[in-house]
Amino acid sequence: MTDTLLGILHMSIFPGGVFALALGFFFKGLDRRLEARLQRRVGPPLIQPWLDAAKLLTKETMIPKTACRQAFLLAPVFGFTGMAVCAAFIPIAGVYNGLFNMGDLLVIFYLLPIPAMAIMLGGSASSSPFGAIGFSREMLMMLAYETPLLMILLSVAMLVGKGLAGGEWGAEFSLLKIVAWQQENGSLGLNPSMIPAFIAYLIFLPGTMGVPPFDIPEAETEIIEGPLLEYGGPLLALFQITSALKTFVVLGLGVALFFPGVISAWWPINLLWFILKCLVLMVVSLTLVKSATGRFRIDQAFRFYITVPVALALCSLILVWVM
Amino acid sequence: MNTGNSTFTIPLGPVHVALEEPVYFRLTVEGETIRDVNLTSGHVHRGMEAMAMQRNLLQNATLVERVCSLCSNSHSFTYCMAVENVTGLVIPPRARFLRSLAEEIKRVASHLFNTAIQAHIIGFKSLFMHTMEVREMMQDVKETVYGNRMNLGQNCIGGVKCDLTPELFTYILGMLEKVEPAVEELREVFATNSMVVGRTKGLGLLPKEDALRLGVVGPVARGSGINVDVRKASPYAAYPDLKFNVITNDGCCAYSRTRVRLDEIFESISMIRQCCRMTPDGPTKAYLPQITVNEACARTEAPRGEVFYFIRTDGTDVPQRLKWRVPSYMNWEALGVMMRDCKVADVALITNSIDPCVSCTER
Repeated sequence: MTDTLLGILHMSIFPGGVFALALGFFFKGLDRRLEARLQRRVGPPLIQPWLDAAKLLTKETMIPKTACRQAFLLAPVFGFTGMAVCAAFIPIAGVYNGLFNMGDLLVIFYLLPIPAMAIMLGGSASSSPFGAIGFSREMLMMLAYETPLLMILLSVAMLVGKGLAGGEWGAEFSLLKIVAWQQENGSLGLNPSMIPAFIAYLIFLPGTMGVPPFDIPEAETEIIEGPLLEYGGPLLALFQITSALKTFVVLGLGVALFFPGVISAWWPINLLWFILKCLVLMVVSLTLVKSATGRFRIDQAFRFYITVPVALALCSLILVWVM
Repeated sequence: MNTGNSTFTIPLGPVHVALEEPVYFRLTVEGETIRDVNLTSGHVHRGMEAMAMQRNLLQNATLVERVCSLCSNSHSFTYCMAVENVTGLVIPPRARFLRSLAEEIKRVASHLFNTAIQAHIIGFKSLFMHTMEVREMMQDVKETVYGNRMNLGQNCIGGVKCDLTPELFTYILGMLEKVEPAVEELREVFATNSMVVGRTKGLGLLPKEDALRLGVVGPVARGSGINVDVRKASPYAAYPDLKFNVITNDGCCAYSRTRVRLDEIFESISMIRQCCRMTPDGPTKAYLPQITVNEACARTEAPRGEVFYFIRTDGTDVPQRLKWRVPSYMNWEALGVMMRDCKVADVALITNSIDPCVSCTER
């Protein structure tokens, strides 16, 4: 009973739910602000994502007549739930160990694509032709970026598994143990054999977050937001909230996988340290990339993902294997 | 895969983020590949030719400038030339140079706008912002010299309205010193940035034979290696006295059209400089003689290509017929060739590569 309550608390207040949302919106606001500064614009205030969501929540829910009603309504909720649960699995070193001390990599790997699936579901349920194109693009993108992600996770699991088994072959999928192992043996991001995997993770981030140059499924100037075209009001707000949660999840996962070090025994300092690391990760892999690139065509993006990050992750995988 | 009925229809426009003006494409696509393009226009038809036949010649100079925004100056320019031809009016030399000056200033801004929109369509927001920032300098020039950012109102029948003081010439030259290196930088980016090149090179192919067959004009023709430019072919205003090259590129794709536009900016900058230095002193207007029964035409090179005006007068100050043909009308047809089997992602990019001016075409 207490476990269940605690679980719900973790999913709704900290670190999932409210905390993840606040952090995600903060990251998004800062991202927009930084991008604007890089383009010599002033940019919106930091609370803009909150204002956007608040405004959308007060609006009417419109459902296209030809849409599949249930799927159309369910899609954003589905995506949101997936991410809210996933956020609770992200360990924050020195603060929080992940839901039920599990934080299993495979669970996260299964939960991560849920927002993309929600977009696909919503897009195809909206009965808009742009939604259909967005659906096929999102599907291709998912195939493209999930492949390197799986290889990155495998190489991390194998390296830590080998470390824990004293050099014997092994794989460790518990994120908690991965974090603990790194705190004793040094961050994986600094481990020479894992640097290619880390770079691959940096490349994975803009793809999964759908920001330029990989904002292809929602390309504004091509298919006018694609799957999200028919969404408005609270449902669109839910998609934005999901995206904010996802920002927290993917950045937090990156920090947990590659740089989970702590600098203090006191948890608030560790929390700030975690946020700072997430911020650096975001600026490097999302904001700077976004303001220095245009948009790939879907075939170009697909080719890019199944060559560059896959090659990098494979490199790490082989290095882990032979060393 | 069943190819029997795997196509579906996508509406693009009339209101679409990537289109600056309303036009409606009905795309039949198979996956991401376009199989058929159906183009419907007419959303911004304002009946301008009919309006022109109810107004007198002087009022029409104001009307035709409002046909479109980016090449507004070319319209009043060509219209005034047509009226001067129909009445046999010869404009003073100073006015000839001032007209060319205004035209080239508009051309620089127009070409920069088109390249900026290309960056926007690619999703390259920073490049879009940067290009617009450079264009803003030309907008400042327009505003300072003519008092307006878009419709300069410079041309009037018989000459120009606004006479430039030596200080203004110095100001324009000073601004060009800032604009030129900035455009040089942009040209480098558009020519070498892997993202821009990857999206535009080989896209929207218009082979030279097709270009000749369809009679395309302006940068679209020059981007297909056709040396056509009204400024050289039948020089008007100050162009016989100005030194410039006609830029052509044999790439035949969207990339080469952008290259042509960016290179033309340098020719325009050089022409603005020549105008600033060579403009002779003297009057800026000539008086309109008695209007007779006559007909005449005039053509100029607008930023998008050849603008053609035909006028017929019946002895009164209201034209019996005023008809114009704009460059986008010729270039539209080429879209059918360019979009053959292209991707959905590239439709907006190809459309932008002909620099369409819908309100000109539909007027």
